[in-house]
Amino acid sequence: MAETGPANPSTPVTAGQLIQLVEHGLQLVGTGDREDLRKRLDLTLGRLKDPSIRVIVVGEFKQGKSKLINALVGAPACPVDDDIATSVPTVVRYGDPASAAVLTPKADAGPGDDGIAERQPIPITELPAYVSEKGNPGNSRKLLAAEVCLPRKILAGGLSVIDSPGVGGMGSAHTLATLTALPTADAMLLVSDASQEYTEPELRFLRQAMRITPNVVGVLTKTDLYPDWRRVEETDRCHLGTVAPDIPLFPVSSDLRLEAARLQDSELNVESGFPELIAYLLNAIVGQAQRLQRRSVSQDLLGVTENLRLSLQSELAALENPEGTPQMIAELELAKAEADDLRKRSARWQITLNDGVSDLIADMEYDLRNRLRQVQREAETAIEQEDPGPVWAEFSQWLEECVAAAISDTFVLTSERAEWLAAQVAEHFAAEEARLPVMHASNSADLLIPVDAMPGMDSGHVNPVQKVLIGMRGSYGGVLMFGLLTGIFGMALINPLSLGAGLLLGRKAYREDKEARLKRRQVEAKALVRRQLDDVTFQVGKQLKDRLRLVQRTIRDHFTEIADEHHRSLADSVAAAQTAANTYALEKDARIRDIKAELKKVDALHHAAEAVAAEVSDAANRTPEGAQ
Amino acid sequence: MNRSTIAGAVDLVQEALKVYGDDPASAAVLEGLARRLAEPLRIAIAGMVKAGKSTLLNAIIGEEIAPTDTGECTRIITWYRHGHTPRITLYPLEGKPRTLPLKRVDGRLVFVLGEVRASDVDRLDVEWPSPALRNMTLIDTPGIASLSEDVSARSTAFLAPADTQSEADAIIYLMRHMHAADLRFLESFRDTEAGRSGTVNAIAVLARADEVGGGRIDSLLSAGEIADRYRHDHNLRKLALGVVPVAGLLAQSARTMRQQDFAALQLLAGLDRADREKMLLSADRFLRSTMPEGLSAESRASLLGRYGLFGIRLAVVLIPNGFNEPTPLAHELARRSGLDPLLDLLDRQFQARAEALKARTALVGVETLLRTSPRPGTGHLAADLERLQANAHEFRELRLLATLRTTGVPLSPELAAEAEGLVGGWGAASYARLGLTADTTPGELADEARRHLVRWRAVAENPLTDRSALDACRVVVRSCEGVLAESSARQRQPA
Repeated sequence: MAETGPANPSTPVTAGQLIQLVEHGLQLVGTGDREDLRKRLDLTLGRLKDPSIRVIVVGEFKQGKSKLINALVGAPACPVDDDIATSVPTVVRYGDPASAAVLTPKADAGPGDDGIAERQPIPITELPAYVSEKGNPGNSRKLLAAEVCLPRKILAGGLSVIDSPGVGGMGSAHTLATLTALPTADAMLLVSDASQEYTEPELRFLRQAMRITPNVVGVLTKTDLYPDWRRVEETDRCHLGTVAPDIPLFPVSSDLRLEAARLQDSELNVESGFPELIAYLLNAIVGQAQRLQRRSVSQDLLGVTENLRLSLQSELAALENPEGTPQMIAELELAKAEADDLRKRSARWQITLNDGVSDLIADMEYDLRNRLRQVQREAETAIEQEDPGPVWAEFSQWLEECVAAAISDTFVLTSERAEWLAAQVAEHFAAEEARLPVMHASNSADLLIPVDAMPGMDSGHVNPVQKVLIGMRGSYGGVLMFGLLTGIFGMALINPLSLGAGLLLGRKAYREDKEARLKRRQVEAKALVRRQLDDVTFQVGKQLKDRLRLVQRTIRDHFTEIADEHHRSLADSVAAAQTAANTYALEKDARIRDIKAELKKVDALHHAAEAVAAEVSDAANRTPEGAQ
Repeated sequence: MNRSTIAGAVDLVQEALKVYGDDPASAAVLEGLARRLAEPLRIAIAGMVKAGKSTLLNAIIGEEIAPTDTGECTRIITWYRHGHTPRITLYPLEGKPRTLPLKRVDGRLVFVLGEVRASDVDRLDVEWPSPALRNMTLIDTPGIASLSEDVSARSTAFLAPADTQSEADAIIYLMRHMHAADLRFLESFRDTEAGRSGTVNAIAVLARADEVGGGRIDSLLSAGEIADRYRHDHNLRKLALGVVPVAGLLAQSARTMRQQDFAALQLLAGLDRADREKMLLSADRFLRSTMPEGLSAESRASLLGRYGLFGIRLAVVLIPNGFNEPTPLAHELARRSGLDPLLDLLDRQFQARAEALKARTALVGVETLLRTSPRPGTGHLAADLERLQANAHEFRELRLLATLRTTGVPLSPELAAEAEGLVGGWGAASYARLGLTADTTPGELADEARRHLVRWRAVAENPLTDRSALDACRVVVRSCEGVLAESSARQRQPA
């Protein structure tokens, strides 16, 4: 179907060709003094060379998540056991030679600190001792994650698969941990085995997760064991249909795939159902992420060439048409002033951003407080009804679950709102930027194309948002993923403490009269609950606030940078036009020739970038299933 | 064991009937209680959806009567009780009960509801001439955590109602792996009863144990290890009296093995090992395979549906190893399915104290009635109730058992474990309490009981023993005395 694309009769541009294009762009920029443009292209190049497409595998425990990953990569990357196996999230990605590492929290780092994780390489054979429930029960080693690098073809495209500990019903801390990891993931594989249709907790989790990552793939595992898996598949499809249309579902058998790999039996491999799943992962998930990346690369290239062209063309126009120069300079100055405004804090998008973030923080705090207050009220009622002493262990566990559920809700709300805010800001930025002058400085109008076709903003507000998100994924993903986790660990630490305190107090009060003892225990329990919830509000509030500030900073930096580029380009153009006006006739011809040659190169790059952009939008219009 | 407790409960209910006879609602409740005291113990089978509740019920009864399916199947609470002739009665939420036609497909009952919707049915009542139902009434319930929430809600409301006592005296709880929803449910079941009587009366079953290891033939060993871990899990320990792994499908089919099943399994066992293993890689492969020739597609499907891959894999390994007759094979499969330990546990934990469990249910019922609709002239009822509750040693044992398993008693761990056994934590029979085997002679039992008695008296008199442990010691001493009295009596009149 590649031949249907009019702009690109050949196959899509490979990553290597894209890298060449960007390097070409760097050469063009390299000769000038545009440090800002070079930085941008360097970043682009970095992203291109190290693409990371994160697919997170989630599901209830014992559904075969780890085995699915093992079968996917054809290696025992994640430990598998009949009992609950995984206790630490494990990232499986490309790397040659095979290696493994664990991430531990830095002992002296405060919460929200950027350098929170420490990477510690371990021998790959010892991995089970770190990530399995047997070697590390309940993650008592307090690891943040483990990382396995394998030289596998399927991972070479930048795909990284994350194995998560099983979620056992909503409200547990694992669920929250999984939810916090979702915003940094490009897609989510929801794993459920073929023994039965989806249960209510599974679908509830799916609904919540869909609000964060809409890119969901259902996987039905263990089809070898259940003769009736086709009926379960059918029922599950119906259930998925009620959540959202067209969530794909792939029935697979990890055991068959592993057996096929052992016996080198391709028929068995087909039976395992993995080829379809892999094709979907590579085409739809990796393909989509790559399209997104291509689009952002092409937009970056287009932006850079536009910026370069502007100053070159202004100079050329001034050289070829000296009498129009003052007018052109005046218009350029005006445009420069407007671009300058865009950088100022008074610009509308800046106001939207600042107001939005403070609103969001206020709302988030209110939401969190409100939810936790409800929990507190329920807890106090429960304490009043019964003697909290004997059931304190269960009670604190119940409390922890309620708190975790409340935080997950707030978290989902916050991330939804943050994304919405980014879209709003982008829209305002695009709207303001569209008011930049359409320049007719010279009578040879066709030489100077309108500036309103400037980088990236013209195709609506989708682009910038995605760019911001990509930026966040790349640079802050790791930190964000674990930022909130430490909050949870903090809570978990507090619980045994409060439990101990409760026991101590209970012991002391024991000798006193029974009635008074009960009253006192209840008061103590209430105080403990209140203190605990206070701590949670404080810690989690801080984490969420930090997170939002990070979002704010990322959005602001992103747009300011673009505004800066505009400003630089326009300033350069003014300078170039002014210099040109003073150039002698003799040098003029030589300079015109130089500029034309330079312009030609820039134009060539521009066209190449346009071709990539056209191909991307073309591919996006096609159905993903159509792609091979 | 103690006739006076159950007799006292019967008397109390009759007394209450005299006082409340004029109030139809209360009288109905009391009559229900009186009936319950005369009936066998009611054991409910509960669990998350698709845990295999109906399958296990069939296995316990030893006949495939409860309908089972891949989709969510049981949507109505169904009682299976003993009757001389098979009969199904439908009790709608409103209106009179009516008899349903007896329809069976492949031996399983089909409930022909006609135009009645499942949500309008209160319960179905199946009377069945099965010996297994003689001393217990089994109640099949719809799964909790179902996607059709009203179905789940019905189960929860039935087993753990908010205001009255539960209809079930005890519960077999099926779970595949310990899920948050499982614990929550068991807690709520305990709360309704235990809030007032402080006891534990649930057995947890690690269901579908054959699937734990992906159907490998050593799956049940893994399942046993997991069950062991759950047995020591502090959350589950106080909610359930024991945890056993059971491969329900295999248990059901082994107890109802047919000649044609055996013939088919024998054919399979005769195949070349490599071919057989390749064929048994997946359910699809097994259904598609054309080997051995004598096996039709239907019998393949039926075999797979009845035994599962695990059952087939196990049977074809067993047949060449000496189990080449239908009966021994069926017995061996049933043994390996883990059903026997479950039946044994049921016997030790529920049947042996059926009277106490039933009496307790009746007492809680009367107490609720006295509390919710007080009236003059019930003073003596309350006094009787109090006396029964305080005096019945069984109740104190049950309460102590619950305390030992929940908050604990300030005793050394060995002593606490011993106390748990002596008050009947491992079974109510004398030998089980003393941790001995069933074939121990009464003389040995008496000696052992005496030894324990002396030891516990010493503990109770020790000034260093914590005050709150003294009550526990007294109960244990009393239990030892009971065992001693019983074995001495048996010693005097040798059988």
